[in-house]
Amino acid sequence: MSGRAERLMSGDLLPWIVMLAWILAILFGLMLLVGANFGEALSGFFNGAFGGRRMAYLAATLSRATLIVGMALSVMISFRAGLFNIGGEGQLVAGGLVSALVAILLPGPPLVVLVAAILAGMAAGALWALLAGVLYLYVGVPLLVGSLLLNFPIRYIASYLVAHPFRDVPSGMLQSHLVPEATWLAYFPGFRLDIGILFIVATSIFAIVYSHTTVHGYQARLNGLSADFARTVGLPVRKLTLQTLAMSGAIAGLVGAIAVFGMHHRYIDGMLVQPLYAWTGIIAVLLVGMIPWLVPLSGLFFAALQTGAAGMERAAGVPKEIALVMQAVIILFVASRVSGAILSARSSGTRGGDDV
Amino acid sequence: MHAALNNIRVAFGPLVAVDDVSIAIAAGEVHAVVGENGAGKSTLMNVLFGLIKPEAGTIEVEGVARNWASPQDAIRAGLGMVHQHFMLQEEMTVLENIVLCGEPVNRFGFVDFNRARQKLADGFREHGIVIDLDATVGGLAVGQRQVVEILKMLYRDARLLILDEPTAVLTPQEKDRLFGILRSFAASGKSIVIITHKLDEVLEIADRVSVMRGGRLVSSGPLGETSKDRIAREIIGGDLPPPLKPAARTPGEVVLSVRGLRAGTRGWVGPLSFDVHAGEIVGIAGVSGNGQAELIRALAGLAPGVAGEIMLNGQPVDRLDVGGRRRTGMSYIPEDRQRAGLALGATVAENANAGRDDVSTFSRGPFLDRAAMASFARGLIERYRIKVAGPSALASTMSGGNKQKLVVGRELARGTPLVIAENPTWGVDIGAIELIHAELLRMRDQGHAVLLVSTELDEILRLSDRVLVMYSGTLSEPIEAADADRNRIGALMTSRTDAALRSVA
Amino acid sequence: MFDLLFDASFLASVPRFVTPILLAALGGAICERAGVFNIGLEGMMLGGAFFAVVGAYFSGSPYVGALAALLAGMALGAIFAEFHLRRGGDAIVVSIAINLLAAGMTTFLLRAIFDVAGAFRDPAIAGFARVHIPVLEDIPVLGPVFSGQSPLFYLSLALVYALHVFFLRHRLGLRIRAAGENPTALKAGGVNPLWVQAIALLMCGALCGLAGAQLSISNVNLFVENMSAGRGWIAVVAVLLTRGRPWPLFFIALLFGAVDSLSFRVQGLGLPQQFTDMMPYLATLIVLTALSWWRLKRQS
Repeated sequence: MSGRAERLMSGDLLPWIVMLAWILAILFGLMLLVGANFGEALSGFFNGAFGGRRMAYLAATLSRATLIVGMALSVMISFRAGLFNIGGEGQLVAGGLVSALVAILLPGPPLVVLVAAILAGMAAGALWALLAGVLYLYVGVPLLVGSLLLNFPIRYIASYLVAHPFRDVPSGMLQSHLVPEATWLAYFPGFRLDIGILFIVATSIFAIVYSHTTVHGYQARLNGLSADFARTVGLPVRKLTLQTLAMSGAIAGLVGAIAVFGMHHRYIDGMLVQPLYAWTGIIAVLLVGMIPWLVPLSGLFFAALQTGAAGMERAAGVPKEIALVMQAVIILFVASRVSGAILSARSSGTRGGDDV
Repeated sequence: MHAALNNIRVAFGPLVAVDDVSIAIAAGEVHAVVGENGAGKSTLMNVLFGLIKPEAGTIEVEGVARNWASPQDAIRAGLGMVHQHFMLQEEMTVLENIVLCGEPVNRFGFVDFNRARQKLADGFREHGIVIDLDATVGGLAVGQRQVVEILKMLYRDARLLILDEPTAVLTPQEKDRLFGILRSFAASGKSIVIITHKLDEVLEIADRVSVMRGGRLVSSGPLGETSKDRIAREIIGGDLPPPLKPAARTPGEVVLSVRGLRAGTRGWVGPLSFDVHAGEIVGIAGVSGNGQAELIRALAGLAPGVAGEIMLNGQPVDRLDVGGRRRTGMSYIPEDRQRAGLALGATVAENANAGRDDVSTFSRGPFLDRAAMASFARGLIERYRIKVAGPSALASTMSGGNKQKLVVGRELARGTPLVIAENPTWGVDIGAIELIHAELLRMRDQGHAVLLVSTELDEILRLSDRVLVMYSGTLSEPIEAADADRNRIGALMTSRTDAALRSVA
Repeated sequence: MFDLLFDASFLASVPRFVTPILLAALGGAICERAGVFNIGLEGMMLGGAFFAVVGAYFSGSPYVGALAALLAGMALGAIFAEFHLRRGGDAIVVSIAINLLAAGMTTFLLRAIFDVAGAFRDPAIAGFARVHIPVLEDIPVLGPVFSGQSPLFYLSLALVYALHVFFLRHRLGLRIRAAGENPTALKAGGVNPLWVQAIALLMCGALCGLAGAQLSISNVNLFVENMSAGRGWIAVVAVLLTRGRPWPLFFIALLFGAVDSLSFRVQGLGLPQQFTDMMPYLATLIVLTALSWWRLKRQS
């Protein structure tokens, strides 16, 4: 799909400049509203995103980017196949919860436990996505709504499990016990960043290669471009749907496991929901019109936006929620330029139109 | 009402659709605008109606130069247009459709339906129209829907009516009724413009004929000063191509056998039973919406039938999905190339290779062999003279005819015993029509079985060895090509077999 | 146990929970009928909830609060229209952006205006008084249900009927239906479907804003981050299930609202809060599944 990338890059620059001006105007408007000092805010932003003592904030950005890019890849694989799986959050929670519980309950050598826990987390994410897929294919529940609604039960199930049966009571918090320390993902030397990011780098490469060069990715993409077409030429649409959703859910599950073993070392109630990783992943994919190689960069961009906003709050007192507002604004402006083709199958109600 | 278009020019990008065309429409006349698909006649009338802004030229109505900002302006000035694809709300009633966009309202914006009823009653008497105003449009036959379209204009006191291919979907009987109403309109002083490519109808109803070709006006004058042959030559810019003569044949084995098939919602279509043999083209004629789509979907496996059995090559395929049926020996050229025939956002090569049974011919292990995909696509492009930049161009960059050639080429290249073609030349240019027809005949001559479903009676008569007529979910007895004549098939298209036979006999 | 669940005070609490879902779903129904796939009800509701508190706090009147909520919802509807209808952004993408925008804006402004994080409660937030209807309020069972509710409840009931008539007999209602079914035909008739859809989005925003007001200045007098908590999604499901028909919508909203209210009620019975919190979503999922299944069966 490099054709779309070219159109995005080249062509008429003016609309993009106008768009950028709008986005910046809204940003400055919001900062004006809270009476922030622009200079302080700007330096706070860059320090918060890429600076800090011994690059601590850069590490925080990369660590956040790990999860966002992971979720974005999960979403991308579904979206490219025309599957509106917006239940990544539920799949993420399922993965994080199950991997944490497996690590807590399963005895054995740390590496075995870690591998088993990650695989279990991926399986849990895949199953949760498959549940939405089965409801969609065999019961007729629209995937969009079905996958979204499934976020809620798993969120509360996870919350219950760490609040009651598996709660680390002495901590006084709604959280599970720590997973064995030996299973924690190592940090890069001299840097507070765990090696979870390597998993996501590998996943990115997998997703890009899968999308562009495999038969499965090609067939899934055809289904995404026109579901009618895929059915008419006899592609195994059901199988593709279920396999794609399973893949998508497994990646979300992997992200949940990375959050457990790399960042929190346990499951804390709300740790995967409140930061809106799944939603940020979705908009990261939409920002770049589902072009695979751009997705990791887009995820990194949003991660920097969020940590940078935290830096602005420390430096200039701008509430860090400004990041969420700006994400929405960016998506509004950009989406109308690049994402038009995503849903062509659903939105093109008229027939013909190719002839004068 | 008198109207004139002066020196109109319209271009879509590099394509000049209408080039310096001027025509005048007199009050009380029926003016036929004829030409092939793509000749620019619809575009020209869209200019008159305010749907397209011309690059150059002026519009004149009742001697006053007008500049439409939108169709609303044209409607207010007394123009009305019936589009080729009906502009109706299927879920609304006839009355709601008629008043829509011109609602008689009270102070709070509520619609006064009774006022509309009274107004319509007068028009009904004057022109002899009968219709149930409270019926839901979705349940009406095509001819009735046409009447609703005409009532919309009558209701708004349109004095100039533009009808775009009004008979394309009508049976001969419905056409007669329509022409009766139009004559009554003309007699009451309204002007009528008919866009059509059917010469017989021009001769039947027009007072004046304008011929367009390639965006230019070839001639315009009273019907009495021209002839059928001359119009025909002007339309195609030369002599008519010789008709395709179906070769003598000996049908082979039964390839497709359908027994007691019921399809559609709660099986409203059927029970259908018929055979298609190797080396023959079986045509299914009928007005669109009589169950053809349901039959095809059931055959192709897109929406499995409710009851009955389908044998392909001697094997039952009822339980197979689309892919399974295709591998058993079926190809399918769908009517809707924009969505079902192609994935417009994918490249030509990606479209060409989709649906090939043996994935290993364009892959190595789990990976795609892009070179093999491109070379296969290049083969189709050459063989079918598809005008496109190359295998890596997006399918959306092709014109309608070239898109269709790609679909036909892809499906026929599979060389399956059975080919199902659903309106294979819908809305494509004449060159593509000739090529596609020749290809279907070639398939037949090579011993493939072809099931042709088309709403174009000419296409059916031109290609088929046997004709079945579909009406209201049932099929007529097969008619041999030699016995197939237009009137008999026309009668079958409008009523049940036995009743029709009696009325013809 | 059943006595405890289904006593008069339970019934009296049902309208409180039905109202926000019903109002938002009626708004969604207008969009659905107009052919705008709006899954941004959640965000419009959240925006309404916040601005209701802003209006009620600074003016001291819940009616000003409701007006502010209505305008906030309409503003989001206008943004939706601008980016979806005029700039051609995909409806789903724009919806997601609207939801995020509302979530971000409300938390941002919560800190910018009130300088608090998480929640804002203050006695100065003027909530709606209960409307007591003489005579009716003395009737057992019916009395507590239909009397003593927020004005927005009565408004939402009236709107069910009003919307029904509106779609059937009003010029704009007719055009909204046409925009949803065959916009090309509407355009050919000389009416721009985009304008009709834009108006539908504004109406939808207004109703969702009021739904938010019901949450923040009628049920309770406070604003909490993400206070809509998925109710907008429940409303989306209600709209999808009924294809935007007002009367069926009323009954679905009644069902979902009753479960919402029940989940509140059973918290006192020793069930873990997580399970009671889950009930409305689970009920929505179950109803959605059952009706989808039924439709699938009926089709074949």
